Amino acid sequence: MKRYTQRSSVVVEFSDLPFWKKADRRDLFYLGFGLLVLTMVLVSYALGSLEWLPYDPQEIDLDMLMAPPGTEGHLLGTDFMGRDILSRLVLGTQAYFLPGLLSITIALTLGSLVGVLSGYWGAGFDTAATYLGNLLDSFPRLVFILLVVAAFKPDIYYIMVVVGITNVPVVSLLIRDKILSLKQKTFIEAAKALGLRNRTIIFRHILWHNCRSTLIIQATLGMAEAILIESSLSYLGFGVQEPTPSWGNMVQAGSNYFMQGQFWSSTAPALAILVTIMGFHLLGDGLNYILEGKRS
Amino acid sequence: MSKAILDVKDLKKHYSRSRGLVSALRGRDVVIPAIDGISFYIRENETMGLVGESGCGKTTVGRSIMGLTPITSGQVLFDGEDLSVLPPSRFLPYRRQMQMIFQDLDAALNPKMRVRSILREAVTVFDRPGNEGVDRRIRELLDQVNLKESKLTSFPHELSGGEKRRVGIARALAVGARFLVADEPTSALDVSIQAQIVNLLVDLQRDLGLSYLFISHDLRIVELISHKVAVMYLGKIVEMGLAGSIANRPLHPYTRMLWSSMVDGRSLEGSPSPGGRGTWGSLDFERPQAGCRFASRCPVYRDRGRPAVCTDPSTEPELLDVGRARKVACHFPLQ
Amino acid sequence: MAVEPVLTIEDLRTYFYSRSKRAFIRSVDGVGLQVRRGETLGIVGESGSGKSVTALSVIGLIDAEPGVITGRVGFRVNGTEWSLLPSIGDHVSLAEEDGRIVEVVKDNRGWRRKVDRLMHGVRGREISMIFQNPRVSLNPFVTIGSQVAESVLLNTGIRNRREAAEKARYWLEQVRMDSPGLRFAQYPGDLSGGMCQRAMIAMALSSEPSLLIADEPTTGLDSTIQSKIVELLDDLKKAVGVTTVLISHDINVVARLSDSVAVMYGGTVLEYGPADRVLSPDFLPKHPYVEALLESIPSERHIKDGLLPRAIEGEVLDTVNAPRGCRFFDRCHRITNGIEEKCRDLEPDLAEISAGHQMRCWLHIG
Ligand SMILES: Nc1ncnc2c1ncn2[C@@H]1O[C@H](COP(=O)(O)OP(=O)(O)OP(=O)(O)O)[C@@H](O)[C@H]1O
Ligand SMILES: Nc1ncnc2c1ncn2[C@@H]1O[C@H](COP(=O)(O)OP(=O)(O)OP(=O)(O)O)[C@@H](O)[C@H]1O
Ligand code: SF4
Ligand code: SF4
Ligand SMILES: [Mg+2]
Ligand SMILES: [Mg+2]
Repeated sequence: MKRYTQRSSVVVEFSDLPFWKKADRRDLFYLGFGLLVLTMVLVSYALGSLEWLPYDPQEIDLDMLMAPPGTEGHLLGTDFMGRDILSRLVLGTQAYFLPGLLSITIALTLGSLVGVLSGYWGAGFDTAATYLGNLLDSFPRLVFILLVVAAFKPDIYYIMVVVGITNVPVVSLLIRDKILSLKQKTFIEAAKALGLRNRTIIFRHILWHNCRSTLIIQATLGMAEAILIESSLSYLGFGVQEPTPSWGNMVQAGSNYFMQGQFWSSTAPALAILVTIMGFHLLGDGLNYILEGKRS
Repeated sequence: MSKAILDVKDLKKHYSRSRGLVSALRGRDVVIPAIDGISFYIRENETMGLVGESGCGKTTVGRSIMGLTPITSGQVLFDGEDLSVLPPSRFLPYRRQMQMIFQDLDAALNPKMRVRSILREAVTVFDRPGNEGVDRRIRELLDQVNLKESKLTSFPHELSGGEKRRVGIARALAVGARFLVADEPTSALDVSIQAQIVNLLVDLQRDLGLSYLFISHDLRIVELISHKVAVMYLGKIVEMGLAGSIANRPLHPYTRMLWSSMVDGRSLEGSPSPGGRGTWGSLDFERPQAGCRFASRCPVYRDRGRPAVCTDPSTEPELLDVGRARKVACHFPLQ
Repeated sequence: MAVEPVLTIEDLRTYFYSRSKRAFIRSVDGVGLQVRRGETLGIVGESGSGKSVTALSVIGLIDAEPGVITGRVGFRVNGTEWSLLPSIGDHVSLAEEDGRIVEVVKDNRGWRRKVDRLMHGVRGREISMIFQNPRVSLNPFVTIGSQVAESVLLNTGIRNRREAAEKARYWLEQVRMDSPGLRFAQYPGDLSGGMCQRAMIAMALSSEPSLLIADEPTTGLDSTIQSKIVELLDDLKKAVGVTTVLISHDINVVARLSDSVAVMYGGTVLEYGPADRVLSPDFLPKHPYVEALLESIPSERHIKDGLLPRAIEGEVLDTVNAPRGCRFFDRCHRITNGIEEKCRDLEPDLAEISAGHQMRCWLHIG
């Protein structure tokens, strides 16, 4: 059941309402939640960089091993070396945020570029790009990452560059297909006839108006993915190395104590992962619905 | 006498439709001669009507002039400059001078843009009139094409056919070009709004000295607003002349057929249809025809006992001057 | 004996909701029509008056919300009766203010499901539609031939692919497509505007429907092909008895083909009756709008004297804010002192002024 109401029988005002007045309540909730998570991540990141943390996250306190949450001064408790979990959690955002951004930037810019080139100018380039893309796709990503880790060093930036590059075919294919179907509609030709430059047509008509929802979703998915990959690799010991905190290695470190009833040291980072990933997904959905003006 | 703003010389545009590798190697690809050597000119302040069978290449002529499709050969001179050899970057300034109203209702409209942004974009391509100026201009355009302001926030898919058409017209007018290719600008409009658009075009021509290439299937409107008319048949101009004389005294058999088959509302029962009911010697690009392309449907050809000159490949009729600013391409023009 | 109606539309209302204005766009606002078997009903009217939306509502293709909110559409062929709209009461509730609907509560999802179920086996097979914008309605990635053949396979008794292709070719020839062999293998993007239109017509006819809804079938076509299409539709009507709803701005085509005509304005029907009465300028009485409409057709007289056709003065109606009285009030030239108040404040009913001829105007209702 959906309700549509008109305030009075005669409409006088024709100006546009601001988006939050006409948006669906659910979309606003999605967006709000997503933005909240994003802000928390950003704030954590800033706090971490400025080192405004309650404790030094690497300081070992042997008097305070595995203190439960709520212990005086340690809101989320401490881990097996007596380090403050909250501080480590906050600093943990450093492990994925910038690398994640890097991977998103690589995937989106290269992906859009390749997609636009093969969709808009087509033919030879398209064939080559599709071929390369398929090649890249057929290669298991994890193997790729491990190779890079082995060849260079287990650095999260290297890993995220690889993740970004392996996402290029995904994005470029989405953009290319979109452009190919748009080209059947003649508005691109009409935009040219109007006197717009190719640049404007590509950026405004194609990327902004017709691909932005794709790009937004890819960006937020990319961040969620970065978190997942970072934490799983760190969990396995290939990602961020101790004693630098990351949510992945925190879960890993805490998991040994989980069965002994000392659940908090792995639960807190696990929850953080869950909430943050959900936040980025909802951010993408909410933005998409609100920008596109409809649920699809 | 004012000078020619547009001069098209021996324009050709051939599409080829590949039927796969094998036939390409044997050189058996089908070539569709969408335009096959046409020449005409349009003077400043003048309207040229272009009529002809559906599929005869009218839209292709418009797109070639606008530089939207590479042409096979020929010249398109605009203000004396050959546009067909200009690189895209040097073409840009000419876009301000010439615009096109597209036949396809959705052609000009990005499905994800609201009417307001579509019009704003058109107003600001070459000018920066400032926010207030833009709004004023948009309102003026809406007024000219009789569109409601409440439609500004609509997306194209929320518009009716005629509303899309009017947005397309407003968009083409927004640039303030001197020359307009109007491809079926009145289709999808009801007669009253058609009249409004026709009046608008005539007013603009009077006040600002615009020139039009007016493509339409509505022969009455073409006759009303054009100074001269060209009739196309399968990629060629078969007759050209002043508007009134073409309609009243057609010389080419196809022209006569075109004008006499206008569906007349009053003859409700069994109006005689030219060429006889049911007959339709249709053309087949796969079996190209020699000589005059109209022969298979031509009543004159039939009545004269199929003269060989009409179907002889070496004597394809050419567009020849027959006096009184009239040209016709036929061996046996009507009297 | 009166022939039974194939299509009956009663009190159809299709609204759209503009979130940005928080208002309803009242595109179709209480339309009732009937088409009897073998008849052609012509619908003419101003651009934006709701002709296409009426047609789309009948075949359940309204996607935007809330869509259809009142009405009943009955469809009867060969003694089977379908109701094409779910019963409104189950899905929609309305609230009025000042005699105008200001609130709609509609279960869109349930409605959609129900419509699709009702339309199964009817849309495409029994009722087919020629859409106003052919290029959009054809799939750009499938060749013309396959699209028509597909429709033949889906909607007729033919099951064999080869036969279906034959049949598709036959229909493409029927709509006077030149070099049908070549066009058969072309994609819609490679065809001219008029060819797409003909392909669309071929596709609609190929399913051999009982009811054909043709939305502007002839606009993109030159007069020779137009007359052939008109003949084709005429033949189908005479030989097979296809019932047709013909929407067109070309009054001549409508006059030529239709038995009865409905003139729409601002989402309502203003005049409805036999074609020769409604569209003949000499037949009186006339609705003021229809009179003005017929006057704006360019005629021989205009051409001879170099006159431009006269448009109906004033702005087109805004379906967001229809006036409370007669919808044509702002532009009407025939208002007399005696009825001015009524015209302004009270909407006239569609009343019978002579047998089978209805009009919505205070001038003609007692
Ligand atoms: N992209 C294309 N590829 C191949 N053939 C094409 C292409 N575009 C047009 N054609 C062919 O060129 C011919 C002329 O098409 P055009 O669109 O110019 O016709 P038109 O005169 O505008 O017809 P209409 O009145 O139906 O719009 C047609 O035979 C068409 O099939
Ligand atoms: N999805 C939609 N959302 C909002 N408004 C719509 C939608 N579809 C149609 N309308 C509006 O409904 C009105 C009627 O549209 P409709 O397409 O029925 O007009 P029409 O009579 O077919 O006109 P035309 O002759 O121009 O095609 C128009 O004003 C249009 O803007
Ligand atoms: S040249 Fe011959 S076939 Fe061609 S139009 Fe003239 S009379 Fe007809
Ligand atoms: S009801 Fe009144 S305003 Fe409406 S058409 Fe008749 S005379 Fe004109
Ligand atoms: Mg065309
Ligand atoms: Mg319509």
